[in-house]
Amino acid sequence: MIESHSATSKGVFNAAVTANKRIGQRYYRLGLEFSAEAAAAFAKAKAGQFAKLDLSSTALPKAENIPEDLIDAAGRNILLRRPFSFADVTAKKDKTSVDILYCVVGPASLRMTTLSAGNTVNVIGPLGNSFSMPKEKKLVLLVAGGMGAGPLIYLAKVLTADFSSIEVLAFAGAKTADELPFERRLDQISQELGFAVPEFARYGIKSLVATDDGSAGFGGLVTSCFSQWLGQNKPAGRDTIIFGCGPEAMLKRTAEIAKEKNIDCQVSMERMMACGIGVCQSCAVECKVAGSNETVYKLCCEDGPVFDSKEVVFKA
Amino acid sequence: MTDEVDISVDFAGLRLANPVFTASGTCGYADELAGFADINRLGGFITKSITLKPRKGNATPRIVETDSGMLNAIGLANIGLEAFIQEKLPILEKLSPTPAPGEVSRGRGPAVFVNVAGETTDEYVAVIERLADKEAIAGFELNISCPNVTKGGISFGTDPADVAQITSAVKKAAGKKVLMVKLTPAVTDISITARAAVEAGADALSLVNTFTAMVIDIESRKAVLANKTGGLSGPAIRPIAVYLVNKVYNEVTKERGIPILGLGGIRTASDAIEFIIAGATAVGVGTANFIEPSCAVKIIEGIKKYCVRKGVANIKELVGSLGA
Repeated sequence: MIESHSATSKGVFNAAVTANKRIGQRYYRLGLEFSAEAAAAFAKAKAGQFAKLDLSSTALPKAENIPEDLIDAAGRNILLRRPFSFADVTAKKDKTSVDILYCVVGPASLRMTTLSAGNTVNVIGPLGNSFSMPKEKKLVLLVAGGMGAGPLIYLAKVLTADFSSIEVLAFAGAKTADELPFERRLDQISQELGFAVPEFARYGIKSLVATDDGSAGFGGLVTSCFSQWLGQNKPAGRDTIIFGCGPEAMLKRTAEIAKEKNIDCQVSMERMMACGIGVCQSCAVECKVAGSNETVYKLCCEDGPVFDSKEVVFKA
Repeated sequence: MTDEVDISVDFAGLRLANPVFTASGTCGYADELAGFADINRLGGFITKSITLKPRKGNATPRIVETDSGMLNAIGLANIGLEAFIQEKLPILEKLSPTPAPGEVSRGRGPAVFVNVAGETTDEYVAVIERLADKEAIAGFELNISCPNVTKGGISFGTDPADVAQITSAVKKAAGKKVLMVKLTPAVTDISITARAAVEAGADALSLVNTFTAMVIDIESRKAVLANKTGGLSGPAIRPIAVYLVNKVYNEVTKERGIPILGLGGIRTASDAIEFIIAGATAVGVGTANFIEPSCAVKIIEGIKKYCVRKGVANIKELVGSLGA
């Protein structure tokens, strides 16, 4: 441990990299392992929480491994930590392993691809709030867009472990089959089987996949797939809850659907973030104030990243 | 061995345990950093800007990273004076006691400065009058250099007549508290505004605030920040800030015995020492707090080690010691 006032609170820690597996054109799954006090802190990390990784001293890939669209950005040095949610957390005896799904989008995530087993990475976390599951709900619908699948995979694990009598169903979308952040090629798995995504199937959760171009599963937006499913299955609103994570336009549509069907909905938001600990005020999310036309800015890092969809003023 | 080095400083009559502050807007109101850094070890602590009324701040994106730096356009989002007094002042009161002006060292606890902003002189005065009798507060940092608001902020800090007018107005309101004026680098000659502030009664100067800057998304051909422009901070600005501190030290503050709080891209003890050699009596750590919340505390130790290595018995020997 580097700094933390209590063994189970957030802190600044070093993590050992255990794996960094490429699972798609631009997608990777990073395995981290925490020891000692860090293990205790991360053993309690909840689905929806996140950590910030210091990638400032992580090496760039070789020139030939840099995607053409990132050649210019690649040369830029990294100052700020980058936030990532958890796709899995497993507490063992005195170690805690944490998986992070990430997509190569800029100079920091590009550097991340060069991390390998044996490396150390400095992490602040666990940070933020988490998805919260009301006791009375019987049906949970997970709606993921692209990389948004990450925290929902971990949530799927937690829900199936903690609640034996609930049903959970996942909807996962991306632009193309190539851009689904899962280890298996889903265009090669029959949708008829009903257990399309192994990441969810391992927890006994059925999933439906949507791609904008129809290259895997439903042809169209994941929210269209979701809306169609709701229309056909008509779950009782009071028994059901939606948990969403993905691009803001997708979350906005998910929130609209939830409102139409009178279903509770929590969404995990994303914002540019400098500190992650409530200091810099960068990651503002505009929220409605109940009973008025006023709005306030809440912080994605501390008040979120998970918000009730009814309170968020979506930008997209 | 490092314990034998005296790095305490006299800052406008305040006896500080060491010359390291955390800069406004990068350390909240102290409670946010609890668990990450021991605020009580700092020489000084400067709050996020306080305005008379609460401010929502700007739309997002409010920040963007750039080479060795970042732009921010938060827009002085803050809870406002009354909520500050109710919710945040008690937190600051729990820090170790602040040394009062003229008082001999109590040896611990940061001097708490409240950063004050406003759209009119009256607003600045109202905030300072209301806080001037609070024991937990050692002084005020007058923010006349925020580049991210349409009224007030930087518009007060670029015209020397305005700088003098607002400084003398708040000086009266501040009573016995230390008044530090935070200068913008967005002027042709910073010594002119520095002199205006000092002659109007500033007890200390802090420099520099951020540089107005812009990052453009070439795909959309739009500015990345919702506010279009933001203030550039971080290591990118450090050499310019070092130069400006040295200039103000030589041209304005040295002969008058006015201390400078040097700010701009400090993230290591080496960076801090550069500012001190340039003429800063104390230094503020800003953007680096976002990356490493205990950065400022680590810098204190680094300064001591440097003094031991260089045979500097008292840090005062270093201030403005730039060779010819």
